[in-house]
Amino acid sequence: MRVRTIEVRERVMARNDEIAARVRARLRADRVPSFNVVSSPGSGKTLLLERTLADLGAEIRIAVVTGDVQTQNDADRLARHTDRLVQAVVTHGACHLDASQVEKALEAIHLAATDLLFIENVGNLVCPAGWDLGEDAKIVLLSVTEGEDKPSKYPKMFQMARWVVFTKMDLLPHVPFSLERAVSFARAVNPDLQFLMTSSVEKGGLAEWYGFLRSRIARRGLVTA
Amino acid sequence: MHEMSVALEICRMAEQRLGMDSGRLVAVGVTVGDQAGVEPENLAFCLEALLAEPPFRGATLRIRRELGDALHLGYLELVDDARQDD
Repeated sequence: MRVRTIEVRERVMARNDEIAARVRARLRADRVPSFNVVSSPGSGKTLLLERTLADLGAEIRIAVVTGDVQTQNDADRLARHTDRLVQAVVTHGACHLDASQVEKALEAIHLAATDLLFIENVGNLVCPAGWDLGEDAKIVLLSVTEGEDKPSKYPKMFQMARWVVFTKMDLLPHVPFSLERAVSFARAVNPDLQFLMTSSVEKGGLAEWYGFLRSRIARRGLVTA
Repeated sequence: MHEMSVALEICRMAEQRLGMDSGRLVAVGVTVGDQAGVEPENLAFCLEALLAEPPFRGATLRIRRELGDALHLGYLELVDDARQDD
């Protein structure tokens, strides 16, 4: 009995990355800035996007793809704040979105009439770090009710992200969370990270968040109010 | 946590490579870097469960660990079962 060896040496993520490259090319062809919004469960991704849709929906044509392990509750919540389509992806147990799911979701979105795309990933600071979805950048949310050392515990996510949005800032006086230490931990794993501070409940810092989004759209040469 | 997704993708790649090959798959070699974001023992658990089922019929898994972020299907080993004219 002779054993034959087939050398493969192929990256496991190669197919996902190939689809992600297609998604990225498609979004860039329509000049749509896109953000993969990631965080632990309960950090406030959906509420921040609800506020954003409610406050900017008349000014900016925002599309959203949401990922959840089960239910499309997040998509339903967001849909109440916009007339535009919110695409729900139910992963049925998978702990992250992948590029093929996003590519399929985009089929239903009129990208030529879209100024900005949010992909709200499954709440998880581990797995979504490894999957390129074709986005321009990852934005990681970190709420002040979590441990300030999350960047040290989940370095890959903070290395892959370009922005950190601190959420629930209205609770800062009531929790033992040092913003300075959190920033320091984050910079230790990724010195290029930039930071925004928000409270979706009290609407603190949202003006800066909206300014940031407008600047990203303006950089693509799109006209905003 | 996402090791089952990775295992399913490795099996998809293996099936694609095998194609119409009549050989019997006996071993699958996978390389996992320590920075790959994959827990090797968890991946082995998932892959062994998948490799026990058709069309793999109990192929052996060999995971090679190394430094870095490598995560790839390294090789497949097949045997050609004896034929009448051998």
